Amino acid sequence: MKKTKSSKGKKLFFKNETNGVNDPDINTDSVDTEQEKGKEGETVKARETVPAQEIKKGRQKRKKADREPAQDESGEFLPGTAIPEADEIIAEENEPAGQTKTDSRVIKNRGPWQEAFADDNTILIQRTVRSGQSVRFDGNVVVMGDVNPGSEIVASGNIVVMGALRGVVHAGALGNENATVAAFKLQPMQLRIANHITRAPDGDYLTPEYPEIARIKDGVVVIEVYQMGQDRQTKIG
Amino acid sequence: MGEVIVITSGKGGVGKTTTTANIGTGLAASGLKVVLVDTDIGLRNLDVVLGLENRIVYDIVDVTHGNCRLKQALIKDKRFEGLHLLPAAQTKDKTSVTPDQIRELCAQLKKEFDYVIIDCPAGIEQGFKNAIAGAEKAIVVTTPEVSAVRDADRIIGLLEAAELHNPKLIVNRLRPLMVKRGDMMSIDDIIDILAIDLLGVVPEDEMIVITTNKGEPAVLDNNSRAGQAYRNVARRITGEDVPLMDLEAETGLMYKLKKLIGFK
Repeated sequence: MKKTKSSKGKKLFFKNETNGVNDPDINTDSVDTEQEKGKEGETVKARETVPAQEIKKGRQKRKKADREPAQDESGEFLPGTAIPEADEIIAEENEPAGQTKTDSRVIKNRGPWQEAFADDNTILIQRTVRSGQSVRFDGNVVVMGDVNPGSEIVASGNIVVMGALRGVVHAGALGNENATVAAFKLQPMQLRIANHITRAPDGDYLTPEYPEIARIKDGVVVIEVYQMGQDRQTKIG
Repeated sequence: MGEVIVITSGKGGVGKTTTTANIGTGLAASGLKVVLVDTDIGLRNLDVVLGLENRIVYDIVDVTHGNCRLKQALIKDKRFEGLHLLPAAQTKDKTSVTPDQIRELCAQLKKEFDYVIIDCPAGIEQGFKNAIAGAEKAIVVTTPEVSAVRDADRIIGLLEAAELHNPKLIVNRLRPLMVKRGDMMSIDDIIDILAIDLLGVVPEDEMIVITTNKGEPAVLDNNSRAGQAYRNVARRITGEDVPLMDLEAETGLMYKLKKLIGFK
């Protein structure tokens, strides 16, 4: 996904069915926002950032998982299962990069070293995501605020929450197993990366006060202390 | 072939979800196969009350839209083998499903379960119409307040219009001492207005708040008076003849204190 050139204005789908108006909070220049008006079940479309092959791969995985029941009683980590949301993210034709205002204004003289840094599209949400609200985005999602229980964030890339993450999150929703979920307080109801699903343990459990990051290691989702620099080095190298 | 029971009230906050969770757990505790269906799409709570929120992957909208099979969406309870939950969706709204879809769903569920218990949303609109579509029996929950009883009366009328005859009544959050002082409607007052059969009386109980927050239904708590009342209701549903519990019996801290210092 890193190699994809398109950093053109993507569409953010901020679904809040109970509230039919456009949200001014997330209307920024670089990102088109669009409220899904009315009918649910409508297909959510986003311009492509993921190569078609990868999407296909994701689909196949989902089909395989469909054959097994999703919910499991035992253990903290549930086996990989189907991703219902992923169906709703449909990729369209890639558009040539560097044509939007954003590109020419913000990223001038984009050199090869910048290419190495530049990740694909990211959306910034500067508010609390509340119960019943759902953010779906083809790219990375950064929330400056909390993600409350009963809400949902689905992203094809990484998810970063600068606050408490207590809802359901799905990173790498199109099958990217390298996607991560990081939060100041990582206490998700359910955490999904690609086709892996984990859930919070039953009963009381420790809730650390430091930032944590979840990623897939050796086929299991692991949660560890977020260490600055670690990611930086691996990415550049 | 099971029975489909809808739990409704009209007014919000009278305890439909609590009642659904407790009756369902009570029935499952006696070894029956029970499925609880949350039709409160957009404001789902039943999963939280049962402590199963973190297990939800698919919901009722996914089932009716064909995104998954019914079996995949059913969540097995962590305490009882026979208890299952079909959760509502949180990011959709009531118009996501139609009464016909719910009717079809109930027909499928009752083939496999002894009891299909539907938690109805508050109100008399689309959500209510969805919830009662597949039901064969109805339980109306009310509290001893004029407003709740008024709404219950309206609901009973709507249930009859929908060919759901002889609904049963549960009076929730009754405070016997207030009734005694004449500050609260009594059971007789309520039945006088609603004129339907009484299925149970549940006293006000702090344990309900505690158990709801913990995600453990009160029926499992032997010290809870409300839990005892719900156990009785569950037994009555299975056809047992259980007398109403003695609500006058005092419990709680004051009683224990009085007993301790010899007032009683």
